[in-house]
Amino acid sequence: MADAFEDAAAGGVVDLMIGVPSPTAEQADKYRKYLAQVHDRESREDFTFPAQYMFKNVPEFADLSDPVRTLIDEMDAHNIRIGMLNVSTSLDARRALAEYPDRFIASWDVDPNRGMEAVREVEQAVEQLGVKSVQVFPAGLTPQVDIDDKKMYPLYAKCVELDIPIFVNAGVPGPRVPMECQNVARIDEVCWYFPDLTFVTRHGCEPWTELAVKLLLKWPNLYYSTSAFAPKYYPSDIVEYANTRGADKVLYAGYYPAGLTLDRIFDELPKVPFRDHVWPKFLRDNALRLFGMETA
Amino acid sequence: MTNLAFEEARAGGVVDTMIGFPAPREETIHHYDFIRKQAMDAETQDMEFPAQYMFKGVPKFEEVDDPVEMLVGLMDQFGISKALTGMPVDGGASQRALEKYPDRFYSQCQVDPNQGMESVRNLDRAVREHGAVAAHCWGTGLIPQVPVNDKKMYPIYAKCVELDIPIFVYAGVPGPRIRFEPQYVGHLDEVCWFFPDLKIVTRHGGQPWTELLVKLLLKWPNLYYSTSAFAPRHYDKRIIEYANTRGADKVIYAGYFPMGLSLDRIFGELPDVPFRDHVWPKFLRENAERVLKI
Repeated sequence: MADAFEDAAAGGVVDLMIGVPSPTAEQADKYRKYLAQVHDRESREDFTFPAQYMFKNVPEFADLSDPVRTLIDEMDAHNIRIGMLNVSTSLDARRALAEYPDRFIASWDVDPNRGMEAVREVEQAVEQLGVKSVQVFPAGLTPQVDIDDKKMYPLYAKCVELDIPIFVNAGVPGPRVPMECQNVARIDEVCWYFPDLTFVTRHGCEPWTELAVKLLLKWPNLYYSTSAFAPKYYPSDIVEYANTRGADKVLYAGYYPAGLTLDRIFDELPKVPFRDHVWPKFLRDNALRLFGMETA
Repeated sequence: MTNLAFEEARAGGVVDTMIGFPAPREETIHHYDFIRKQAMDAETQDMEFPAQYMFKGVPKFEEVDDPVEMLVGLMDQFGISKALTGMPVDGGASQRALEKYPDRFYSQCQVDPNQGMESVRNLDRAVREHGAVAAHCWGTGLIPQVPVNDKKMYPIYAKCVELDIPIFVYAGVPGPRIRFEPQYVGHLDEVCWFFPDLKIVTRHGGQPWTELLVKLLLKWPNLYYSTSAFAPRHYDKRIIEYANTRGADKVIYAGYFPMGLSLDRIFGELPDVPFRDHVWPKFLRENAERVLKI
C-alpha cells in the first residue's frame, strides 16, 4: 500500500488547495475582517485561525523573508509539482504565479453578493491572469450565500461558458458561523440545472458524506476534494467510494498554510487505505484531467 | 374631438412592442395548447383563446394569404413604423419579415429558463449573430412555471446585461386561468436590485398591483412598463398618472394584435387616453426606440 503511494507521489502531486504563507498575526487580522459573522467571544478575540479548535499544530509564521520561496521549498520537499492558488486577493500569490507559472494553477475567489461585477471579474481574471478555476466559500460570505442560491447562478453559468471548474466548500463549516448554506443536499439542484458545470466540493462534506457519495455517483461532473482534512480524518465513505466506483472523482487537496503542515499531511497520507490504482488518480491525474492537462 | 398631440406623435411613427402575424383560425387554436395543458378548469379547454372571457372582438381570420404583407399593410394603415416581432430564425413569417423589411421589424428572442444553458446560448447567438434586440420570457406559461425572480432566470438576466439588451417579462394576474404567482409584481424588486444594469420591460398590465409597480418604476431606473394586452380604454389610471408626472420616459406603447385586440380598436381608443401632450411621442415611439436601441 505504501509503495503504491510512493510510486504515485514520485510522479508528482497536484495539491488543489495551497497558499503562500503570511505572518500569523497579519493573517489573523484578515480572518477577523473577513469572517465578520462569528458571534462567539472565542472566535472574535482568541482565535488566530477561525477553525483552530479543530486543528492541532496550525502552521505559524513570524518573519518571512521570501514567502514565495518558502512555499516552493515546501512543495519541492513533498513532491508537489503543481499547487492551486487563490490569486484574487494575495499579491504574493500573483507573484508566485508570475515567477513559477508551471508550478501553479490560479483560482479566483468570488463573492456572489457582488452580482454582475463578480461575473465580469471572473472573465477578466481568466483573460488577463490565466485563471483556471473559480472558488467560493458560501459560509464565509457576508451575507452568506447558499450553494443553490440564485445569486450563484450567473457565476455557475459563466463557469460553464468559460469551461472552468468551480470549487465550493460543502459540509458544516469550521468557523463558528451557520452551516445551512453549505448543506450538501443543495448541490443536487445545481448539478441538475447545470449538467455541464464542473463542481468540486471542498472541506469534506461532513456529516453528509453518505449523501455526497450518492450525488458523486449521480452527477458525472461532480467531484470531491479533500481540502482542510488531515488524511487520518478522511471520511470513510469517501475512501470507500474512491476504492470502488469513484477512483476518478476524489481529488487530493491539502490545507497549507491555512491549517495543516505538509509534513503532517504527507506523513499521514500513506496510511490512507486507498487501493493501489487509486493513488495516482487521487494525487495527480484526476486534477490534471479536470484542467485539461496532460496526465503522465 | 381630435387629439392633436396624439395625431402629431403618431405621424412621427409608432413603435409597437407587441404585435404578431395574423394566422388562420385553425392554426391559432393549437398555438394555445401549452396553456390548456396546465389549466385545470374545463372551460379553458373549450376556449379558442384562453383569455377570451376578458376580450371583446378578438381578431379572427379564416384565411391568411400572406401574413407578412397583411401585417405590413395594417401597420401602414395605422401609422406603425416599427414592430418587435419573433425569433430571428424561425423559418416562418417572423424571419421573412425581418429579411424583407429590416427597417420595420426587430427581433425578440424567446428564452426558456427550463432549458438552462441551452437557452442562454441561444440568446447569445440570436443577438450576436442574428441581431435580436431583446429577450422575451412568459415564465407563467412555461411548464413548469418560472417566476420572474426564480434562480433559473438569473443566467438569462446576466446574459442580457452582458449583451446590453432589455428583457420583456409579464407582470400582474394573467388572463389565462393558470396560477398568477410567477408574475406577481413584487418579484421584480429583487431582480432590479441584483441586476441594476438590466433593462426590464413589463408586459400585460401589472394589475392589480399597479400602485406597487409605480413605486418600483420610480425606484428602479431600468424598469419600464408596456401596455400590451390592454385596450387603451382600460389602461390603468395609476400608470397614466405616472406617465403624466414622473414617468413619461418609462411607459411604452404595446398593442395586442392579433392575439386579442384589433388595431382598429386600439387606435380608435388611443386618442381618448388622457396623456399630457409631451407624453405622446415618448409613449408611442421614443421610449421604445431608446430602450431597444433601434
